[in-house]
Amino acid sequence: MENMPASWKLLLMLLLVLTASCGRVHAETLAPSPKPLASVPALSADMRKVAVLKSQNSTQNVQLLNPVNLSLECSLTADHNNLPNISAFWSQDGREIPDSRLTVALENQQYHLQRLFYISGEEMLGSYSCVFENGVRADFILATPPFGEVRDKPVVSYVRDFVVLPCKMEEAKPKPLSWRWFRGNKTHKEQISEQPERFQIHSEERKSKLKVINLTHEDAGVYYCGAVYAIGTTMNPIELKVITYQEPLKPFIGILIEVVLLVAVIFLCEKRRSKKNTSKGNEENVDQNNIKLQEEEKGAEEGSSMRQRKV
Amino acid sequence: MLEPHYGELNMPPAAATNLAHKPPDGGWGWAVVVAAFISIGFSYAFPKSLTIYFKEIQEYFSVSYSEIAWLSSVMLASMYAGGPVSSILVNRYGSRPVVMLGGLMVSAAMVLSSFGTTIIHLYLCVGVIGGFGLAFNLQPALTIIGTYFQAKRPLANGLAMTGSPVFLSILAPLNQFLFDSYGWRGSFLILGSVVFNCCVAGALMRPVSNQKPKGCLPPSNEAVDQGAVADAGPQTADSDPEEGQHEGKGQTQNSKLVDLTLFKHRGFLIYLVGNVVMFFGFFAPVVFLAPYAKHQGIDEYSAAFLLTIFALVDMFIRPFTGFLGNTRRIRPKIQYFFSFAVSYNGICHLLFPLASGYQGLVVYAVFFGVGFGMVSALLFEVLMDLVGAPRFSSAVGLVTIIECGPVLLGPPISGALVDTFGEYKYLYSTCGVLMLTPGIFFFVMHYFNYKKLEDEQKQKAAGEMRRPEETVELKSNNEANK
Repeated sequence: MENMPASWKLLLMLLLVLTASCGRVHAETLAPSPKPLASVPALSADMRKVAVLKSQNSTQNVQLLNPVNLSLECSLTADHNNLPNISAFWSQDGREIPDSRLTVALENQQYHLQRLFYISGEEMLGSYSCVFENGVRADFILATPPFGEVRDKPVVSYVRDFVVLPCKMEEAKPKPLSWRWFRGNKTHKEQISEQPERFQIHSEERKSKLKVINLTHEDAGVYYCGAVYAIGTTMNPIELKVITYQEPLKPFIGILIEVVLLVAVIFLCEKRRSKKNTSKGNEENVDQNNIKLQEEEKGAEEGSSMRQRKV
Repeated sequence: MLEPHYGELNMPPAAATNLAHKPPDGGWGWAVVVAAFISIGFSYAFPKSLTIYFKEIQEYFSVSYSEIAWLSSVMLASMYAGGPVSSILVNRYGSRPVVMLGGLMVSAAMVLSSFGTTIIHLYLCVGVIGGFGLAFNLQPALTIIGTYFQAKRPLANGLAMTGSPVFLSILAPLNQFLFDSYGWRGSFLILGSVVFNCCVAGALMRPVSNQKPKGCLPPSNEAVDQGAVADAGPQTADSDPEEGQHEGKGQTQNSKLVDLTLFKHRGFLIYLVGNVVMFFGFFAPVVFLAPYAKHQGIDEYSAAFLLTIFALVDMFIRPFTGFLGNTRRIRPKIQYFFSFAVSYNGICHLLFPLASGYQGLVVYAVFFGVGFGMVSALLFEVLMDLVGAPRFSSAVGLVTIIECGPVLLGPPISGALVDTFGEYKYLYSTCGVLMLTPGIFFFVMHYFNYKKLEDEQKQKAAGEMRRPEETVELKSNNEANK
């Protein structure tokens, strides 16, 4: 379709406008202004997402895998005012889409707004909203399948060691086409290519692992694992922290010293107590011996006196 | 050699202490309870708390989940297999050196493993050496309570066993914190120093009679021998005549092997048979509580909260059970209390499938916590009650190595049950039966055992009554002869 000459595109566009003006449903394509994505949309949509509104805003997440014709519809239930007409517009990522402001008529107690979008690439993903005159809006967030478990704490590893950063897309979500790994910050990401001595990437259908070998402090930072789909890539950030062995060594030695001190204190107290006991015991023994000696002497005397008496 | 005043407590007609000394029942004994609390806490809670690291270690070494789960099994198996070795060492050297050695072993194991390069390295260090080190902590801690306490022993046991849930509650968040800050290697290093505190526990385990030299046979046996030969007067209150006959043999055996004469001990056999069956179904309900909750659609945090409730109830029930076991009414018939506790667990599991919704699960967690705590608090107290403190070390060694089987096989078999039927209720019903049957078995067997012990006690009392009379006659004859 992109290879069509410009004149043909113009003709087709005119045809469209004519047919559209006959019907009540407005079906327009949204071509991004800078790029000549000249796809001529079919009037039928591949996917349809509806938001039913009353008085509160609504938000919907739309999961996309491939380029698609997406029809977004908003139905606002009329309130007591029952105005015959209400104006509304569409916005993309917070900015109003030019020429999208319409006047919607009241029909069956509802104001019905619909627009067809052709989502062709990653740039077209984002937040699309229909905004009504009274301020009520519905947001559609178009994105590739998100990761389920996002790890909020950093992975910790050591200098000269290696680390394996894992990434998983759950069974419930669609399979990605491939996996890619990136390094950097939100604005600038660099893809990591396999270098045998530094990075190893091992990817399966739903899992991917990045092994960073021979770590240094410079390797610390945020890594992104990207699940690649036809329409875009979902990024999952993983933070890596690199520390030296001295970090855990400090609490280790601290606790070791505590244990040695406690054991020493306990043994010392025990030695002191046993010394007291033995010295007490010695005194008691000495006393007992003295008493025994005295008794024996007494007995001997009595015995001899008895013998003397007997004799 | 029970002093007469113990009679006030209606001491059970079961094996008595047969110790040469009078158990202090207080004083330094409470410091020993603290020491046992620490040792038992580490022994039971440490292997369980290591599971937090498994996921990262699994990624690091690129192994499957079952291979990393093996680490737990190896550690547990070593801990139970190390039982008899521990018993021999305690019989020979007393509790203190063994506990300190155990603490050193686990500490060294963790430090070495923090530098590990393969998963086999971890199996050997953490699994084998660590497991043995923990065995060297568990057995002596239980044994030394028997030497320090007689009248208040159930309470002391209950308090010491509380170490397990308390340490688990401390180690679990600590391990999470260490993991977040230092990764698994640094955490293992620091855990090596944390577990080194077992040596502090060992230092507190002062042997009761300080005059006892090392390498000597336990004075208990010598005392009984002398008691049987020279001492005609005081009652040994040893209502188990089998012990008296075997004491001679047991003396030589204790110095070499574990006391295998225990296999002829009636009470020991009852305990062993019942426990082997019971352990098949003892731990599985805990292991599967959270998965069952998630299966019912409950979110992960609420499921984890169930385990917290369970642990809290367990923590408070253990000392309370110890206290109850110590009361005048229950102490003499403590075996019935244990039987009740086991049966209660069984009934709990059998009624579990009736629990519906999260409230039902919470109620179950509370009731199960009570049951689990009761059984744990009494588990070793009743063994001590049956075989007496001197032979307890050997007894517990034999019991642990035989229990190794059901403890290791229980969870995998339960897992297989769940996988086959796809439902958890069969698992809980099976566990219920596996607990209720030994419970009833204990009730019946101990009824007969108590009766027999009472008869033997009466016989012995009658026999000893005659002896003083005879010695009096002898003396009077001697004097007359002079």
